[in-house]
Amino acid sequence: MSALRILIVDDETIVRDSLGAWFRQDGHQAEVAENAKEALRLVAQSHYDIALLDIKMPGMDGLELQDRLAAADPDLTIILMTAYASVETAVKAMKAGAYDYIVKPFDPDDLSMLIRRAAEHRSLRAENLRLKKSLETVAAPPPLLGDSAVMKHVLELVGTVSASDATVLITGESGTGKEVVARAIHAASARRYNPMVVVNCGALPEGILESELFGHEAGSFTGARARHKGKFESAEGGTVFLDEIGEVTPKVQVELLRVIEEKLVTRLGGTAPIAVDFRTIAATNRDLQAAVRAGSFREDLFWRLNVVNIHIPPLRERPEDIPVLAEHFLARFAQAMNRRPMRFSPGTKDALAAYPWPGNVRELQNAIERAVVVGHGETVEPSALPLHVIQAPAGPGPGSLAEAERAHIQSVLDASGWNITRAARVLDVDRVTLYSKIRKYELKKPDDGNGS
Amino acid sequence: MGTGAEGAAEAETLELLPVGTLPGGALDELAARLSRHVELPVRALPPSPALGVVRLAGRDQLDANALLLALEARATTPRRLLVGVTADDIAIPIFTFVFGLARQGGRAAVVSLARTDPRFYGLPADADLQGGRVIAEVLHELGHLATLEHCANRACLMSFAGNVERVDVRGRRFCPDCSARLPSWLRGRRAPPEMV
Repeated sequence: MSALRILIVDDETIVRDSLGAWFRQDGHQAEVAENAKEALRLVAQSHYDIALLDIKMPGMDGLELQDRLAAADPDLTIILMTAYASVETAVKAMKAGAYDYIVKPFDPDDLSMLIRRAAEHRSLRAENLRLKKSLETVAAPPPLLGDSAVMKHVLELVGTVSASDATVLITGESGTGKEVVARAIHAASARRYNPMVVVNCGALPEGILESELFGHEAGSFTGARARHKGKFESAEGGTVFLDEIGEVTPKVQVELLRVIEEKLVTRLGGTAPIAVDFRTIAATNRDLQAAVRAGSFREDLFWRLNVVNIHIPPLRERPEDIPVLAEHFLARFAQAMNRRPMRFSPGTKDALAAYPWPGNVRELQNAIERAVVVGHGETVEPSALPLHVIQAPAGPGPGSLAEAERAHIQSVLDASGWNITRAARVLDVDRVTLYSKIRKYELKKPDDGNGS
Repeated sequence: MGTGAEGAAEAETLELLPVGTLPGGALDELAARLSRHVELPVRALPPSPALGVVRLAGRDQLDANALLLALEARATTPRRLLVGVTADDIAIPIFTFVFGLARQGGRAAVVSLARTDPRFYGLPADADLQGGRVIAEVLHELGHLATLEHCANRACLMSFAGNVERVDVRGRRFCPDCSARLPSWLRGRRAPPEMV
């Protein structure tokens, strides 16, 4: 135990002197105050680790002094001393935040142990704070950036809903940053030191999704050799992020509704419901209300999820956000790749601003990552950007969404030399989806001779 | 008040003063055992009726603070250290008891035999066990007179002991760090086998 700074507050000289001498003999720095006023003056002037306060003192008593000292220095560990063993007083003191309570006269061993425990408690608390801070740094979500009025509104909403436990439905096109918003809400909420578990509902067949979400008991189906905890259980105390919620089958929709409402999960093959504590955030790029009207999405689940709706507009509707996002990604990737700080040339800025970014923020991020990889020097020239970005026609884009998508896929494919894997990565879709789009839009390689 | 580090460093005699009535021959025996641990002449003084003792109100204990003040008032002879020895239980008002008391760098200390006696805890008398405890307590208080504070090394004689079990399990020697700060008369001899 390292030396502590201890303040002893007691109106009896003998107590102050005896305790002061005892603590000093124990290697601590002890100072004394004979009343509350003197104690407050000392605490305002310097830092103490522990304060021992006599409860019964003329004028301001120890309990009131405790409140004032805690307000002046929340880090101070307070121990109350009294000549009268009273459970009522002890309860009152502890409720008011005292670390402990000791009855005069003390057994020397008890005081020694109490000080040792208080020191350990302080050290653990400091360690805990340090770890939380480093955790916040390490696990910090990507920042939500944007200069546009609409993004400022999104940021405000994130701040508001973080303080509550309300279910949130985040809507927006692919690549707009729905998961980033979900992570920002979780990181700013009281649940931030517990896990945020992400489930991509669109990527899994129904049976596997059920098992992933709710867990299963051993032997509940072929291949279920061991008991498996579901995502809701894994997120205990934290947040479950249900991405692509619009892709969930009607059967799973019913099960999800029950779990979200009752906070009880029954593993597949299990019988006993397990109480779970989690917050739900869901996201979709689909128009769920249209899906409700079409009968493919349960209305009750929709309203259960849509307690707070945060809509993230596509990047083309908020072009003023492009520079700030681009600068952010440039700084991040330059640092990650051990490059000197980089900047965009005016031509590059123009190209970034002119392109409609149908793949939204994710596409912008990929483009900047590529530019940092292929670019030389400290200035990013337009040539470092993907070809389809710098070749994008100025002015308004193609009319319909399908036309925009077709044109965009064509340009990405051309820029990647029809390397499907690379193009799929830029477009942030899987290869199967890309092949199906190629078929749908009857896209052809330029050297196929058939045109497109 | 003592003269600080020089008080213990320059000590030439260690005197033991009985406070109240001690069992017959107890002080001489303590002086003899103590001389095997310190390189100073150890002298048992006759009782001094003039030494004022104060009992703590409502407690069957002597006020160790008052006793120490009285001993310090008598310890005015240069190069002499004075240790008061009492059979009574002693305490300071804020604590339920103390084994002994000394001011760091002072010239006087007080040690109680009461809680070193196994009979205090309902156990059979054991002169050797009690003798070892008393020596350990006197050496601990002499360490304070030599300006040492409590040591974090729980195997060191200068570590804090808040109960008799800790006195027993605590080492009977000063750790190397504390030893290096002791005057030569206090670190000069090894503890005899019965102390280890």
